[in-house]
Amino acid sequence: MKATKTGPLPEPTDTFVQRHIGPADADIKEMLATIGLQSLDALIDAAVPADIRMQRPLALGRHRAEHEAMAELRGITERNEIFRSFIGMGYYDCVTPPVIQRNILENPGWYTQYTPYQAEIAQGRLEALLTFQTMVADLTGLPLANASLLDEATAAAEAMSMCLAISRAGGGPEKRGFFVARDCHPQTIAVLQTRAEPLGIGLHIGAIEQIDYAGQALCGVLVQYPSSDGAVRDYGPLVERAHAAGALVVAATDLLALTLLRPPGDVGADIAVGSSQRFGVPLGFGGPHAAFMSTKDEYKRQMPGRLVGVSRDASGKAAYRLALQTREQHIRRDKATSNICTAQVLLAVMASMYAVYHGPDGLRRIAERVHAWAVLLAEGLPPRP
Amino acid sequence: MPGRYCSQKACRLGHDVGREPFFDTLRVTPRNRSAEKVMASAKERRVNLRRFEDGAIGISLDEVTTAGDIQTLLEIFAGGPPPFSLEELAGGVQAGFPAAFARTGKYLTHEVFNRYHSEHEILRYIHRLQSRDLSLVHSMIPLGSCTMKLNATAEMYPITWKGFCRIHPFAPPEQTRGYEELFKQLEGWLAEITGFSAVSLQPNAGSQGEYAGLMVIRAYHHHRKESRRDICLIPVSAHGTNPASAVIAGLKVVPVACDEHGNIDITDLAAKADEHRDRLAALMITYPSTHGVFEEGIRQICRVIHERGGQVYMDGANMNAQVGLCRPGDIGADVCHLNLHKTFCIPHGGGGPGMGPIGVAAHLAPFLPGHPVTHLGGKDAIGPVSAAPHGSAGILPIPWIFIALMGGDGLTKATKVAILNANYMAKRLEKYFPVLFTGKNGRVAHEFILDARHFKDSAGIEANDIAKRLMDYGFHAPTMSWPVPGTLMVEPTESESKAEMDRFCEALIAIRGEIDEIVEGRMPRDNNVLKNAPHTAVSVTATDWTHPYTREQAAYPAPWLRDSKFWPAVERIDNAYGDRNLMCTCPAPESYA
Repeated sequence: MKATKTGPLPEPTDTFVQRHIGPADADIKEMLATIGLQSLDALIDAAVPADIRMQRPLALGRHRAEHEAMAELRGITERNEIFRSFIGMGYYDCVTPPVIQRNILENPGWYTQYTPYQAEIAQGRLEALLTFQTMVADLTGLPLANASLLDEATAAAEAMSMCLAISRAGGGPEKRGFFVARDCHPQTIAVLQTRAEPLGIGLHIGAIEQIDYAGQALCGVLVQYPSSDGAVRDYGPLVERAHAAGALVVAATDLLALTLLRPPGDVGADIAVGSSQRFGVPLGFGGPHAAFMSTKDEYKRQMPGRLVGVSRDASGKAAYRLALQTREQHIRRDKATSNICTAQVLLAVMASMYAVYHGPDGLRRIAERVHAWAVLLAEGLPPRP
Repeated sequence: MPGRYCSQKACRLGHDVGREPFFDTLRVTPRNRSAEKVMASAKERRVNLRRFEDGAIGISLDEVTTAGDIQTLLEIFAGGPPPFSLEELAGGVQAGFPAAFARTGKYLTHEVFNRYHSEHEILRYIHRLQSRDLSLVHSMIPLGSCTMKLNATAEMYPITWKGFCRIHPFAPPEQTRGYEELFKQLEGWLAEITGFSAVSLQPNAGSQGEYAGLMVIRAYHHHRKESRRDICLIPVSAHGTNPASAVIAGLKVVPVACDEHGNIDITDLAAKADEHRDRLAALMITYPSTHGVFEEGIRQICRVIHERGGQVYMDGANMNAQVGLCRPGDIGADVCHLNLHKTFCIPHGGGGPGMGPIGVAAHLAPFLPGHPVTHLGGKDAIGPVSAAPHGSAGILPIPWIFIALMGGDGLTKATKVAILNANYMAKRLEKYFPVLFTGKNGRVAHEFILDARHFKDSAGIEANDIAKRLMDYGFHAPTMSWPVPGTLMVEPTESESKAEMDRFCEALIAIRGEIDEIVEGRMPRDNNVLKNAPHTAVSVTATDWTHPYTREQAAYPAPWLRDSKFWPAVERIDNAYGDRNLMCTCPAPESYA
């Protein structure tokens, strides 16, 4: 057929722009009248200096229909191949209980809030975070846990800064060495290297048998418990030697393992860090997941990140709110030893509800089953002596 | 006792799994089959294992492990079906740990971990907690600088698609082509929006973006053999995270003054930049300013820094006022972080997750963060700033969908409407609360600051009292006392409708009336609706009512509350008491009585 005349094609109807933007065009007109202007462009000309304005439209194409964009993203997601991953290294597949997935992760009543600065109208997630802190404190055996950090590696870096700050506060000769056991997760070691250098911290990476307490002027030692390659070691002797040399011990650890293993606090560790990802949070190609940190009561002022605490309201009733806020970067500015503000609240809430859902016995059963499979597999693989 | 020590069976596959106790992870040194063959079989069976540098193979088991998985793993190592069954294996082992390692005490004994184990119980517990939180499902949250815009359901949908959420961060690249494409497109879009040449998606929070950006600048100076450059100029109006990030990046902070309009004092800036000329590393600047104004002098500010060898770091907290109108890269910034959880619709999650990718100009691109596990980044890349190579990759479909659905035209309109909404609200409220800062044409950008300081003398009322009283009207307060103490900073975003903004304005106007009653002596300064706010259902239904206003005035001060009322769960909280009596774990149930 020979085309003689062209015409516009029907426009999609499920477009998003007018739903994302609150005021309808009629409202915009009325609002412009209120502020005494004729057009949106006149407002922009008045508000934005002329010499910085973009002289062309954004080259992002026009807005798309919702079902078309969704279909395109489906196509993208299908290009990812889901293998069964036994890689570990701090990331483990797990079951997100459907009741948690639908009612927390996929629920705007949980995901649309900001940080709980107005505590009286944030008691729900403050309670969930307090439960997270209680869970971490209990499982790690260290009494004071914060309301999450960004990931395990940065949590370890925060612990390193904390060791330095505590060592400085204690007076005595300056200790700028930090020892990292080489069987920590490699990404943790790499982030520590990034973070140590500008702070002037000398990082020593090696086997814990090689620690030179006298020569390395250590403010802290980081071990992974269980180690990145799976070994469960008794760090009791290490803790003793480190403490005798005035160094703190940080244990990067795994909450599920701790339902069966002696907690780091029991062994004498001063700080525990780790990820709560395997408590019901999807892998997500690396995040977001809630990291955790717990420590001894005496180090509460050096603890980075947000801390939920119990107080009371005007009627004397117990009520939750963010505690010790003067520790935080927005107050301390260049005196701060951490810059963390936003953490991983939604994921911490999920992990906390995972523990509430399963309870101690349920968590222990999950851990025992995982361990039993590992034992079975080990039995199948090794040579006989 | 670890199983393998007590096994009596002799067959097995002959690989070395080491001697130490383990929980869920084995390090296996293949003996009867090469590691390459094992890895090849694994790939064939669609299984990912960890490869150590010394040729050993790591296997970590997890909650979803099945008998089929164990069988598959044994077959991968045996090169075929092993000569024994799983049941036979199970007969010879006993799990558990030697006494030195085993946990003995009880844990998670608090009631909360022992009460909600049936699905009805936990479902109701989750919803009970949710009902105590005011969120965007109730009303606008006009937090200045925080950008509480719509988190559309369509944007949230894909994050639980299994193709996005069940991928291990260290899965080999041939399995993650979809993510690769997503990143590439998103990086390209963000580069176009910011006017930069490269983007790193690794920083997993705004603070991390600041850190990464400053580290990139630092690496650039070092690369040019100018490692003496360690001074970071930061205006006094900056968010506290800026100086904290600078210090952690090894820089020394020198504050720069602001003028009475809240703009950077360019004379002081030039003086400080001159004073530290040889050591100037960077300026950190937020644009539009933290005071909600597009500073006229921004180009000149960038020039002052560049002429003295420094780099300009733009804090992207207010990027939502720039999209489609102007670009950090064009203005003169060298780095900018983007709060994807502000401008690009990732929800705030009640305090995270955030995402803080950075865009950089071409000369800084080689220094963007790398990652050792996946070999991300070139030879000049700074080390990783996050555990995962692409930060919180799992939530990146959210900004992808947002940008795809809005297009260039929709994004630009959104920015314009965000500015309109702020100017509209400022206009409606200025008669009741003075608007602190405006640009030279009397307009604000996407947010504005309401002054409440004068009520302290006239009525004994502080910004905090207004914030608490707003709760009785069903609203979350604006940003309190930042960047100016005693003020409220309002940011409506483009997503709020006129009706919702009008409702919020009416609440604030009504509160102004309540303050006037105190000013005029008709209400006492210590016992009034503001000082006693918020009012709970328990307090307004108490038998004794000792306040000089009615219960109705306390709880239903506006007509819309008759239709829908959000009840604060507790009365005003005593912060100081909690800090004096620090308790950061769940209290015993009796304390709630």
